[in-house]
Amino acid sequence: MTTIEKAITPDIDDSHYQSKTLVCDGNEAAAWGVALARPDVMAIYPITPQSSLVEYLSQFVAEGIIDAELMNVEGEHSVMSALQGAALAGARTYTATCGPGLAFMFEPYIRTPGLRLPMVASLVTRDTLTPQCVWGGHQDAMLVKEAGWIQMYCETVQEVLDTTTMAFRIGEHPDVMLPVNVNSDGNYLSYGATGIQLPAAPLVDAFMGEKNVNWHAALDPERPMAIDPLTGGAGGPGPSMFANYRKSQCDGMQNALRVIEETHKDWGDRIGRYYSPLVEEYRLDDADYALVTIGSMTGAAKDAVDLARDQGEAVGIIKIKTFRPFPVEAINRALSKVKAIGVVDRSVNFGWNCGPVYQETLAAAQRLQRFLPSASFIGGLAGSDITVEHFSQVIEDTAQLLKGHHYDEPIWINRND
Amino acid sequence: MALGYNTITFNPDKCDGCGDCMRACSQAKAGTDDPVHSRIQILANETPSTGEQQSPIEMAMCRQCGDPKCVSNCPAAALSKDLSSGTIDWDSSKCVNCLLCTVGCAFGGITYNVEVGHVTKCDTCDGNPACVKVCPHGALEYNTSGSVYTRIGDKEDLFVPGLSACQGCNSELLIRHTLRNVGSNVVVATPPGCIPGMGTVGYNGKTGTKVPVFHPLLTNTASMLAGIKKQYNRVGRDVTMLALAGDGGVGDVGFQSLSGAAERNEQQLFMCVDNEGYMNTGMQSSGSTPAGSWTSTTPVGKEMQGKRTDAKNMARIMMMHNCEYVATASLSFMDDYYDKLDKALAASKRGFAYLHVYAPCPTGWRFPAAETIEVCRKQVESNFVTLWEFTPDQGLQFTRSVDKPAPLADYLKQIGKYRHLNQDQIDHLQRRVDNQVKSLKAFEQTSAVS
Amino acid sequence: MQHSKYLIIGSSHAALEAVAAIRMQDPDGSLTLITRDKHLPYSPTVLPYVVSGRSQPDNINLKDQAYFDLHAIEFIPGRKVEKIEPENHCVILDNGQQWQYDKLLLATGASPLIPPISGLDQTEFLVLRTLEDAIALRQASSQAKKAIVLGAGLVGMHGAENLAEAGLDVTVVEMQTQVLPGYFDPQAAGLIESAFSQHGVTMKMGHRAVRIEQQDNGCQVELENGETLEADLLLVSTGVKPVTDYCAGSGIETDQGILVDDHMATNQTDIWAAGDVTQAGDFYSNAQVVTGILPDAVEQGRIAGMAMSEDPCLKSYNGGIPINTYTFYGQQAISVGVSDLSTGTLADCSEVELSVDTDNGFFQKIIFKDNQLQGISGINAALDPGIMWQLILRRIDLADDKADFVAKPLETGRRLMSRTWR
Repeated sequence: MTTIEKAITPDIDDSHYQSKTLVCDGNEAAAWGVALARPDVMAIYPITPQSSLVEYLSQFVAEGIIDAELMNVEGEHSVMSALQGAALAGARTYTATCGPGLAFMFEPYIRTPGLRLPMVASLVTRDTLTPQCVWGGHQDAMLVKEAGWIQMYCETVQEVLDTTTMAFRIGEHPDVMLPVNVNSDGNYLSYGATGIQLPAAPLVDAFMGEKNVNWHAALDPERPMAIDPLTGGAGGPGPSMFANYRKSQCDGMQNALRVIEETHKDWGDRIGRYYSPLVEEYRLDDADYALVTIGSMTGAAKDAVDLARDQGEAVGIIKIKTFRPFPVEAINRALSKVKAIGVVDRSVNFGWNCGPVYQETLAAAQRLQRFLPSASFIGGLAGSDITVEHFSQVIEDTAQLLKGHHYDEPIWINRND
Repeated sequence: MALGYNTITFNPDKCDGCGDCMRACSQAKAGTDDPVHSRIQILANETPSTGEQQSPIEMAMCRQCGDPKCVSNCPAAALSKDLSSGTIDWDSSKCVNCLLCTVGCAFGGITYNVEVGHVTKCDTCDGNPACVKVCPHGALEYNTSGSVYTRIGDKEDLFVPGLSACQGCNSELLIRHTLRNVGSNVVVATPPGCIPGMGTVGYNGKTGTKVPVFHPLLTNTASMLAGIKKQYNRVGRDVTMLALAGDGGVGDVGFQSLSGAAERNEQQLFMCVDNEGYMNTGMQSSGSTPAGSWTSTTPVGKEMQGKRTDAKNMARIMMMHNCEYVATASLSFMDDYYDKLDKALAASKRGFAYLHVYAPCPTGWRFPAAETIEVCRKQVESNFVTLWEFTPDQGLQFTRSVDKPAPLADYLKQIGKYRHLNQDQIDHLQRRVDNQVKSLKAFEQTSAVS
Repeated sequence: MQHSKYLIIGSSHAALEAVAAIRMQDPDGSLTLITRDKHLPYSPTVLPYVVSGRSQPDNINLKDQAYFDLHAIEFIPGRKVEKIEPENHCVILDNGQQWQYDKLLLATGASPLIPPISGLDQTEFLVLRTLEDAIALRQASSQAKKAIVLGAGLVGMHGAENLAEAGLDVTVVEMQTQVLPGYFDPQAAGLIESAFSQHGVTMKMGHRAVRIEQQDNGCQVELENGETLEADLLLVSTGVKPVTDYCAGSGIETDQGILVDDHMATNQTDIWAAGDVTQAGDFYSNAQVVTGILPDAVEQGRIAGMAMSEDPCLKSYNGGIPINTYTFYGQQAISVGVSDLSTGTLADCSEVELSVDTDNGFFQKIIFKDNQLQGISGINAALDPGIMWQLILRRIDLADDKADFVAKPLETGRRLMSRTWR
């Protein structure tokens, strides 16, 4: 192992990794987050609104900022496939995609967690077809929530950078060994530029520690083994073998809750920036009711809450960062503080006629063993903005729940924009 | 230890009795054109008789028997089997001219030459036979599969015994031979199909392969191998990437990743084991299924008589990618195959190499299991498939002559999936074969010019 | 007591062929070769060439020690078998050593047949069966002036030619009316005889020696007609007889030789016999015959070895066919199968194609029956004897090719066999 580590230690100009302030958008921030994690193999295929992210990666490779194999393959399907191969050979791997690209990637995508391959794939989230659409929304990410990937949604450009780097350590933790989607909202985070702090590389290197992504499953002539023999069937050892395998996958996912928290804590201790790893509570402690948000919409939500607070409304925010695994305990700790919630989704759950975050939140709340009045808000589809004004309306509508109002239907935010 | 050797083979169907071989032999051995000195005797039947199947041209020469009677019969130890070359050597210093060796030979392979006063026989010109070199029709060939088997036979079989391939499956033969030659410093990808189906990757935690092996998806074999290779290149390890894929994983759903990998010139050896359909899952039709074939999804009935469209020629498509190396091969021509395997392996160190191996399937095509290799042979001899290789610098070159093919109908009639063919369908396939050959020849000529 | 899974007595063609067959099937089973000869294996057939000087005694070995080492074979020369105890699976050697075997092959060959001629047992004479005989004959020929060769079989004819070429005045005495009876008809034999006569050899055919007397510097041979011949070298070459003395009391059934079935098995369990020692099936009849023909010995050895090692490809012996390839004074005489209809079982066969050119010493005789080749013999005629043998053995139907075959037996034979093989 030591020889490999030595061989791939990048011989590049560390001046790129001095702690410094940058003005950049979320796609560039993600690229910097990748650079700090020192991946071995990246495979890319461009798709709006992810394209500039892979352009930054390519540029970084061209300039020597990233020392990695860059594979410009012919489609997302091969992106994921190549990375699986590389990971099975011991590589730290990365890619980014969204929307139709994710859909095309789906076949190998759903296999990565089963192979227990750590990997980071940014989803620069995009609404899905049809209607034809190239703008932001969470529908793509929500479609793959049962695929077995860890999903973390970022709120800010800085968080995109920090979470991207952290995601490698989370996925590679031996108790986890799962791939991670770092989700950043298309348009809003991908193209929104802001000032951020780039951490110093030596600090990040120390944070990352040893890499070993294929100790459990390798395609290596020095450790010959078969990867993925047929398993299952109705008799013999197959059924129990498969069930135990699946359970271990679920265990890894649950272990991730702890590892995500530990990792965020360690990142804060070393780098100086702390995040709520699973669920953020904003002005919640004395709140009567709360909005439940996810992703970049939270910024506008916070502004609206601040305004409402100024007007005496006891409203707070529960922001979900980690959506997979779903942080049931953390959510319920927050929910237990309020009497009603309004959950804002940037995607829909067709079957339940509500947003998927709403549905999941209620599923968690069921364990509180008390009735929690709630409303589902759906907005921000196809790049549309959920403004402070929209959130002020959401707050107003949610407040109605405390007065006994009941909503039969989800509330569509941008329908009358 | 069993040993196999190189041999001179003769195909009477391609011989027109020109006698060039005999003159070349006489020149090589006696410096004259007098055929009395020729160790190969071409025998034209001047008065062909009634038997229809009777070939007009026959041949007598030493077969370099493995268990030679001439040697056993020699009282003077003048004849011996050379265990390294396989030729039967004659020692003039020991020979007593008793002619008992000629009693042992049923082939006319060692004969008394009255001009020189002793027996003479073929010595294969030390492995470079003059007769083969001058044969203008490819009727004589120097077949090296025997020595290849000897070489390969000494290497470890890297699959376990007892893979559960169908009886008569030539894919199992192919992969065992291939991996012996490739060795253990390899990662093997076998997408869903017969090859993993026979247990190579394994079942429920047990594997059938002694080297790293995996199931890619049916769709992404080339891409996964590409990723693996990238990482090994990165850490400075030279590991061979080998795909053993069926035609569906190559030309149908696997095509995009294959094409992409070929375009990027990924360093891997991608082998298509073409059994003309999805034989592993119950003989469904694929893009490689020839027109007219019965399959379970192109059945034969009142409204449909087998597959309605032609197969795509994947090897030719891969040639158009300008890969480092592209070749077609058949298990009935193992020396040719091994030659190409070696070249493809070497090419896979530089970039993308593609080997298309035709793999008749007794179960799915419906022919007796014992006839697999014969079906392979007829496939080639009828030009239903052709043996060639391509490199960017050399272009396309046939490795086996496509002239004077055997009738296609002879090939078709031994296979159950073609049993229903009507004359129109047979004519269509014959036209298709002729056109393919014409087209490939055009490529060959282009190569020759450039 | 010693033990060997395979015990083989003898070391010439039949024995060695059996060894090869056994080792093909069973590379490891213990295998021991015991021979009364003192040398590495050689062929009696090469001995006339040792006499002539064409072959050197140290250059005629059919196998060497390296071969035995490679195949894990114990080779014990210079030991005779005294006795066989089939019930104990035991062989007792002349030094008293006992060998137990699982499978035993008797390939002890033949020894010269010494005719019961009055006085012969009191006379110094030479034979030619062992290397020692050959060396002695070569030595004697360099000192003698005048030789008598008793018997005009192959050994006698070779001996006569060698002695004549060495400068001796040679007379061949043969009881029958021609040379090489059984292989050539009288007409062909006449061509051979005349070649000898032309080279100064006196050919006395149809003469029986009735009395032989030792003299100071040689011997005197008296013929039936009263004629006496004198010589200082007497070569007795009146044929050979199987060496079967050790079978006495063993229960192994013998007649002229050891009787074997078509897998070369004797009547005793786990005992086989092959080569010149046997009396085996005849190709043309149901008779059991002693042939003394090298290719038959090879064939029998192969079958015995396969049977002993339980080779699943074992096939039955086709039966012996007379075969002779004989070169004399630069000419070739070849005979495969029946050559003379006046004797034997094919006397009723009338399809004979004869072609003779006495001036050029050319003779060719082809015998068919039911469109199948029965025999072909020729002098200075181009033939592939191996192909002719197969045409006879396989009973190839030549109905469509007879004319071609008669006109051009060499080319037609090759063509027919090429077609048959393919």
